Amino acid sequence: MKTSINKRSLRYTVLAVVLAGIVLAGLILLKNPVQSEKNKMSDNISVSGNYQNSSDVDLPNSSGVIKEAKAMPVYGHWRNFTKKDGLPSDKAYTVRIDGDRVLVGTHDGLAVYENEEWRTYTTEDGLAHNGVVSIDVSELTGDVWIGTLGGLSRWSSGKFTTFTQFNSGMPNDLVYCVFCDGKDVWVATGGGAGHYDTHTSQWEIFTEQNAPMHEPWTYGVSSGGGKVFIAAWGGGVIEYDNNTKRFRDYTDPDGFMEIDLQPDDGLIHDITTATSYSDSILWVSTYFGMSRYDGKNWKGYFNTDSGLASNFINFLRAEGRVVFVCSDNGLSSTDGTTWVTYKKDDNSENGKAIITNGNEKKEIPLSPSISHNFIIGVDAKDDLLWVATSKGVSRGEMLR
Amino acid sequence: MIYYGLLPQKESAVERCSDNLKSGYMKPRVIILLIPVLISILPFSGLSGQEKSANYGNIPDELVAYDKYMKAYKYHFLEPTQFYGAGREKLPPTDLKEVRIGFLGPMEGSVIQPLGKQMLQGSMLAIEEANKKGGYKGILFKLMIHNDAGLWGAAANEVVKMDDEKVWAFLGTIDDNNSHIAIRATLKLEILNMNTGDPDPTFTETAIPWVVRNIPDDRQSGYVLVARIFKRDKHRRVAVIRANNRYGRVGILHFNRSATRVGYPIIIEERFNDGETDFTAQLERIQKTSPDAIALWGNAKESALILKQIRDLGMKQPVYGSDRMVSQEFLSLAGSLAEGVVTTCQYNPDSDDPKLKAFKANYLKRFGMEPDVFAAHAYDGMNMLIEAIQKVGLNRVLIRDVLTDMKTFQGYQGVTGKVIFDATWNNIRPVFIAEVTNGKFKFSPAPPLEKSEQIYKKPISGYSY
Repeated sequence: MKTSINKRSLRYTVLAVVLAGIVLAGLILLKNPVQSEKNKMSDNISVSGNYQNSSDVDLPNSSGVIKEAKAMPVYGHWRNFTKKDGLPSDKAYTVRIDGDRVLVGTHDGLAVYENEEWRTYTTEDGLAHNGVVSIDVSELTGDVWIGTLGGLSRWSSGKFTTFTQFNSGMPNDLVYCVFCDGKDVWVATGGGAGHYDTHTSQWEIFTEQNAPMHEPWTYGVSSGGGKVFIAAWGGGVIEYDNNTKRFRDYTDPDGFMEIDLQPDDGLIHDITTATSYSDSILWVSTYFGMSRYDGKNWKGYFNTDSGLASNFINFLRAEGRVVFVCSDNGLSSTDGTTWVTYKKDDNSENGKAIITNGNEKKEIPLSPSISHNFIIGVDAKDDLLWVATSKGVSRGEMLR
Repeated sequence: MIYYGLLPQKESAVERCSDNLKSGYMKPRVIILLIPVLISILPFSGLSGQEKSANYGNIPDELVAYDKYMKAYKYHFLEPTQFYGAGREKLPPTDLKEVRIGFLGPMEGSVIQPLGKQMLQGSMLAIEEANKKGGYKGILFKLMIHNDAGLWGAAANEVVKMDDEKVWAFLGTIDDNNSHIAIRATLKLEILNMNTGDPDPTFTETAIPWVVRNIPDDRQSGYVLVARIFKRDKHRRVAVIRANNRYGRVGILHFNRSATRVGYPIIIEERFNDGETDFTAQLERIQKTSPDAIALWGNAKESALILKQIRDLGMKQPVYGSDRMVSQEFLSLAGSLAEGVVTTCQYNPDSDDPKLKAFKANYLKRFGMEPDVFAAHAYDGMNMLIEAIQKVGLNRVLIRDVLTDMKTFQGYQGVTGKVIFDATWNNIRPVFIAEVTNGKFKFSPAPPLEKSEQIYKKPISGYSY
């Protein structure tokens, strides 16, 4: 009797192990679907090192990179600048390309790169404060508007003019963002957003008293399509229509700080940090991910479901159909479908570009890479990409 | 504990199996057949990210947003935000004459100036005690005091000044608006902010990795009041009257939402402004709704006046309130009418803890007054900053790192009790019930909110991972 039970048990055991094996194999297959031959080939290419993007690599070698990135631009030939190269500080908050020169806002002054040389401007030159956190250039006049930790400066014909709470109607002295929209210069501050009419020299201020904001804390501002988009900290995005002078707001529909109930039902979070409008698309960054709005539908992006480097996003700027996303752990760019993310390795100057298309991911070594992964500012023009980081600024060239 | 998706089924299967084994009831073939079943569900045990051993912010199961209906796509605040920026390599200056720590509070031009004074004195006492022990390597600490209530948005400008002054960290503030304005600047300038006085739940929900709060927030108070008012005291129709400012609006938010979630939405919400003295209009509107209890959210003075006018109108409903009622000012103004008022307090001021007793005695000796909740938490917060500096030296990023590593200061035992950080560095230590008895507040631990199985349904739809 005992023997027969053991034999039966043995049969059941074998059956159980076989069943378990089948179940496990099924689970593994579900988790990692079989790759197509094409994908396998791409993987082989990506690890071959053909895409090595250093200065000693000829541009033709990058054609594979371009192919992988589909229509997305990929930048390489990175050149990094720190205090050793002439910057007043390693901590760079913002960067703006202005014709043949590049303006960089640092913790210790405004740095201007022109003809391969850096020149620094500080309070001694008339700057409102040495901490320069935002820069924009007026297309109408060519004036440079500089948002600092202690006021707004206009740099025109070599002279700085300062606007503060005391000497003008500006909402607050800490100017997180400045944006030129025709004759209007918009600012986002902790005391509200507002615009300075350069024709009438008047400020108009928007706070929770006269705009649909919960609080007057604003962090970013941009414009496009006849509208201004204010990133209101805790209040989502406030849209101001230049024609009707009316507001409307966009907030996270679930109403809770601790969750995002549905990813594409609206803005993913109310704590917004920047807005950028280009190619009829509004991009919005938060510390919880990114949102895209085409005027009809919202789409949310997290680092778990896209190629986004990190959900903590300091700033973003869209140029054409591509948005450049400054996260705390890498620089990402996307057209909404394909992602190119740049990351520096921890203990070397090298790094990689990670190209993500749906579930496919390719890593391409870069040597050198961007100067730091904590990205605070970005600007792109023609074939150049400039990046402001926690430790220096970087310039990349578009690969063809 | 909250479960999603397959986990409840999985647990019940395991539990059943375990029970059967214990009772010797299970046949060998059943055990063997169970092996593949157990193996097949094993991979799901790693549903990390969305599965969690405790709800964010100590939210009782019953009160998790939308949880009765569906699983959310994304849950935030389950892991601390890391700071990936540069600065850890920066060497400390060699020519320092003092070690500066900033202080931001309502020093003048604010209705909560007395609270700011207590917060300042608590901070000063900690600094003075540290300096008596030699400061930092023989260099004395110095408090750089800033008023947060100047021009609109002044808190941001003051944080910039602190950066110019080269403070290593700063403590403050109380007012919700000013606290929020300050932390946006602190993120830009990378100075750790120890908050010891603002109970606004959204303050730490900004995900800024430069902010630590050691005072339990209004989320905790709201849950405790819900448990007390609806579960223990069995009230069903509750009216709210609250300050018409951010403290009132955000403070009462989780109480209101939770009241709805347990099945008893607030029947009316009235507002009043700071400094207002006649609340007749609001109270008459409340009276018409025939509430069976009233919840009050505001500063001590207005709360006492409202309580008086409630009784003047002949309304006999029990009154519950926010933590700012726990003050001598409220007791003095309300007199005998305060009897039976129930509120919450972030710590137990009458605890027998020798550390608290010593602090109270030293504070009284130094400043000639009893410390309040703002003084006590500021004393603890400043001591945490000082200890962080002593541990890692003069580097802002390293000071941030040690205060937020979830190890070094997790469980820190101050005069107000233990610090229990959640992933947003918010102190989720249980708060206390404060009830006026014989003219004094009596403090007792707040019982946890019991989950009501009758109305709680497990999620049936939503996202899975």
